Amino acid sequence: MLSMTAPADPIPVRLTDVVKRYGRRTVLDGVSLEVTPGITGLVGPNGAGKSTLVRAILGLVRLAGGEARVFGHDPYRHPRRVREAVGVVPEDECSVPGLSGVEMVRYAARLSGLPATEALRRAHEVLDWCDAGQERYRPVETLSVGTRQKVSFAAAIVHDPAMVILDEPTNGLDPIERRAMLGRLTTLARKHGKTIFVSTHVLPDVQAICDRVIVLARGRVRLAGSIAELTRPARPEHHLTGTGPLDRLAAALTSDGLQARVTVNETGPLIELASPRLDQLGAIWSAAQRNGVAIRSFAPASRPLEEVFIETLRQAEQPSAAITSDGLREPAGGVR
Amino acid sequence: MPLHDVGYRAWNSRRCGPSATVWVIAVTGIRLAWESRWLRRLVFFAWSPAFLFAASFFAFEQAVDEGRLTALGEGAQVGRNLDGVGMLGTVLADALGGDPDEVDVESTRRLVWTRLLLAFMRSPQAILLAAVVGLVAPTLISRDLRAKAWLVYFTRPVGRTEYVLGKSVILLLLVLVITMLPAVALWLMGVLVSPSITVALETWDLPVRVIVASLVLAVPTVLLALAYSSLTAETRIASFGWFATWVACWIAHAALTTADVVASARQQQAAATEQAGPRMPAYRRAKDSPDPFQSQFRWLARAAGIDARLDRWAWISPYHALGAVQAAIFGIDRRPAAWLPATATLLLMTFGSLAILAWRVTAPAKA
Repeated sequence: MLSMTAPADPIPVRLTDVVKRYGRRTVLDGVSLEVTPGITGLVGPNGAGKSTLVRAILGLVRLAGGEARVFGHDPYRHPRRVREAVGVVPEDECSVPGLSGVEMVRYAARLSGLPATEALRRAHEVLDWCDAGQERYRPVETLSVGTRQKVSFAAAIVHDPAMVILDEPTNGLDPIERRAMLGRLTTLARKHGKTIFVSTHVLPDVQAICDRVIVLARGRVRLAGSIAELTRPARPEHHLTGTGPLDRLAAALTSDGLQARVTVNETGPLIELASPRLDQLGAIWSAAQRNGVAIRSFAPASRPLEEVFIETLRQAEQPSAAITSDGLREPAGGVR
Repeated sequence: MPLHDVGYRAWNSRRCGPSATVWVIAVTGIRLAWESRWLRRLVFFAWSPAFLFAASFFAFEQAVDEGRLTALGEGAQVGRNLDGVGMLGTVLADALGGDPDEVDVESTRRLVWTRLLLAFMRSPQAILLAAVVGLVAPTLISRDLRAKAWLVYFTRPVGRTEYVLGKSVILLLLVLVITMLPAVALWLMGVLVSPSITVALETWDLPVRVIVASLVLAVPTVLLALAYSSLTAETRIASFGWFATWVACWIAHAALTTADVVASARQQQAAATEQAGPRMPAYRRAKDSPDPFQSQFRWLARAAGIDARLDRWAWISPYHALGAVQAAIFGIDRRPAAWLPATATLLLMTFGSLAILAWRVTAPAKA
């Protein structure tokens, strides 16, 4: 019997100048990043190198250059230690044909080193938590996509890993199941202190649950930082929404010395105004009353992550951005 | 939410080591393979030759017990069926040699038992092994490649070695169940039906030889079958490769052996003609030349392990190479020219297969 691997490094994943080539094709080109406890999203277009990055973290591929450390261990040299501490939900449907859902999760637990009785108990426990119901007794290959995804997730967390890597975890889930899955990830991170690393194309999912995001394109980290930082507009702004003549209110605020303008986004018309000082808040309230506007919300403005993502990819397309990272926007402190 | 849902709970107990992983892979693999009714039938059928050989053991020990061994030897010399299945006569005729009056029971028993066990392991079991392995092995890795089940293993603390060992143990256990187990059971039955229990001490080395011979039979064949399975995601292609290897090599061996026999017969005939002169009558030429039927079917005698002449082509066919090495293990044929080339073939098979497995098993993860 072996004891649980004690994390030798508080930073779960630390990649430094990682290079991976397949033949002449460079898939990861000097990737440096840190994945810290909490939920980190990995986004990028198809072929960006996301799957290779995940494989590098698991020690499945030999790096052409750079250094990878997962909980302080080199994943290529000590894959066993790394994989004991990590659970993976792959994008591809993978199962052992002939096993039922619960057998599959139990098998995963046994492969991760759990004793036989514990493995069965844990398998049922995590399947209950994933709401797999009686479907668990059917052969995996006959399950619906959503249930298979639950089984796959249960198999990834059955050995209670310190970190869970998920590749497109909400693929094939209906909106209710999708919300439930995101809820489980949040619970694992917030309540149980797990590190969650989600590779996905679904940006609203990333914005909904992630603390940090890494944008990978053409084998390089193009953008990294906390969601709050990245979605903050270039200059501090607040958004005001309400019912009534917003254009009159905007004009009144401008005459009071605030920079305000009416604009329209996907939720409807709103007033964008440069973030006011505290002593100006009363003036905004009075102006709204005077102009017959009922304020519904007044909050700091944020950019949709999708907009940030597209802008980053556009920059990455430019030759200068592809060669050097000088022009890229990297927040102070890296990915933390 | 189900009533029994206790939520997510931490688990922080001790984990099992890599040997447990090998066992888990093996046990799960056997359970899944055993669901095939064809495999179940084949394994049960694979035990049927053991009953026939058991009749030979019983007939021999009965003759020893009743003091009829001399009569049995005489019967064997004239080709009588002594055990109802025809095996004992062939073996006994070889074992007792020319003079049945000078029979030493102990040495005869050892020789007869050894020849019977070798014949059992070589002819029916080695052929049934090819069938059993051919039914199970092709699916073991190729199905994992097709269903992407390799992700199930290699995203967990499972190394390439544990994976290959686990898959090999599935086949090894099946092979040992149809070779080693019945052979040891035959020896045990022989001891039980013998006049004295001390026979177990006199023949203690036979079960050891059976175990070694079974492992020699199992290891190269299992690895070769797994190597084929790892080369393709299509089970059918792996099956075809496996059976084609056995059949093609067998045919090549038979062809070369027959060609040897024909060439040697022509040489003998030419020598006889030269010696007797051109006026030798036709009926004498036919009488002196080797029996054409026996000569042309020598490959069959060799396959059954009852031809004592040196098989210089054994190395070309896995089946015959296995037979030659097994004969050396049982002490029947210890001529280096018989077992050395065959051993080289088996070693080549083993290490070649291991190299393929090492290259192929984690290849999808690296692609």
